[in-house]
Amino acid sequence: MFNLFRPKKSGDGPRRLWLDLGDLGDLVNPAGPHEQWQDHGLGLLRTLLHQNGLTTDLASTRACKSWDEVRKVVSGYDMLIMNVRSYTFPVAYRSAKIFKEVNPKGLVLTGGMHATVAIDEMMAIPEFDKICQGPGEEVIVDLVRDPDSFPRMILGRGSKSMADWPMIDRTLWPKPASRQLARKFKWPLEPECGWGPGPVVTLLTSRVCPWQCVFCNENSYIPNMGRRPVEMVIDELNYLDRKYGVGSLVIHDSMFFQNPTWLQEWLEKYPRQANKVWPYWAAARADTVRQWPELFEALVKETRWDTVSIGFESGSDRVLKILNKECTEEDNYFTIDLMTRIGDEMEREGRKPPVFWSNIMLGIPGETRDDAFKTMRMVKYTKRIMPSIAFYAPYPGSALGHQLIAEGRSLMSKENYHRYPDDEKVKGIDYKFYRELLAGKFDAEVSKGLAQVRQERQNYMGALTKA
Amino acid sequence: MYLFDMKNGKKKLVYGQSPEDALEILSYRLPPEEMEQIIKDKYIKIHQRQLQEHVHLLG
Repeated sequence: MFNLFRPKKSGDGPRRLWLDLGDLGDLVNPAGPHEQWQDHGLGLLRTLLHQNGLTTDLASTRACKSWDEVRKVVSGYDMLIMNVRSYTFPVAYRSAKIFKEVNPKGLVLTGGMHATVAIDEMMAIPEFDKICQGPGEEVIVDLVRDPDSFPRMILGRGSKSMADWPMIDRTLWPKPASRQLARKFKWPLEPECGWGPGPVVTLLTSRVCPWQCVFCNENSYIPNMGRRPVEMVIDELNYLDRKYGVGSLVIHDSMFFQNPTWLQEWLEKYPRQANKVWPYWAAARADTVRQWPELFEALVKETRWDTVSIGFESGSDRVLKILNKECTEEDNYFTIDLMTRIGDEMEREGRKPPVFWSNIMLGIPGETRDDAFKTMRMVKYTKRIMPSIAFYAPYPGSALGHQLIAEGRSLMSKENYHRYPDDEKVKGIDYKFYRELLAGKFDAEVSKGLAQVRQERQNYMGALTKA
Repeated sequence: MYLFDMKNGKKKLVYGQSPEDALEILSYRLPPEEMEQIIKDKYIKIHQRQLQEHVHLLG
């Protein structure tokens, strides 16, 4: 009988399956737009494999509606390859178990960020036959070609520069798995999520944020590498536009607004050399905005940096110190005031004003109710904002995550990495208070002092001289 | 980043401009009885890239 679930065979030789990971059903009937985003690690590594003649079939847990469906999809393969992130670790773990049940002689190859930050958790899973720690682009071809010549734990090697990366073949990404989703998705580009018109191109221009915030610590694991040259980025966008028609960009860099030389070149070339000045979403930090305000303003106005993602995290200096954020309340308010002024000016000129995609953290160990009120007051003060609020999560790999896990305070587990923003993640945190805060129960306390903050911040340019 | 020795033989990871600053930041989240477990003059300074070598010692 024809197997509906089995992907098309890739050719002679070992049958290799790359399994894209995510929650079941996310490519069928997703709860939100971000669940549909594609995995750039998968895209880059599959492109490298295919360019070297090592074809892989593709399946996705996101395209399956049940684990029984996953079982059928992975059946009959000799090799399973997965890029594992912390929030997909439970899915990878379960998929590997199923793969081994239906293919007892099959080999499971894993790598990705979770292997990099939590190698002990990966090593504890016997179904993971090979585990690549660190960047995989310089080892993936040899590993897939001859896995037996590698030990169980492999130290990956990355390229020196993103200029060495090939352009991702986006047709190697999974397709939407329902007719309804396919209409909105515009595969192999990505669907609109509210930040700019579709079809959306997600891309990376840089890798690794060099700061040392203790909820992330990306820089402790991934060596720095050269940024993708500006012209290479524009060439790729123009190619995608000619082929598929681009609506807007999401620049996925952990930190876009770093390296002023690169940004200056982007400012000069993107508006002139791109087929169209597509609006984009990209990330900055409040302290770098305060450091280079003129560059920031020019980028917002001239390159259509319409959605500025800033990890404000907190409106309290005390909490910013707990997070080792190296930004202050004053940096945050300076940036908010600058964006308000830029937005007001653009609006007066009849242009669409930029907005903040503002990352906010609550439930940080050590945070008091007053700290939380200050944070919500900062959100309320911001004129044009799309707040992205989440409860702090002690991910392994981060400095504070490691420490809280060691203290026995983490509520996260192998079976559930709590990727959802409102899940309870740390023992001893009064989540009832935070839920009530978000529901508006303490609006009076939040609003108290807001008028005074507004009064005090009439002349924010004074802060610039102190920067 | 600093690794302070603790009376129970484990280490506590703290961070700040100086050891004193780091301990003050830690006191924002730990109660006094847990702060007392830390031996305040016994620490080493580590770079964040070395963190992984010390994770098993944390407590």
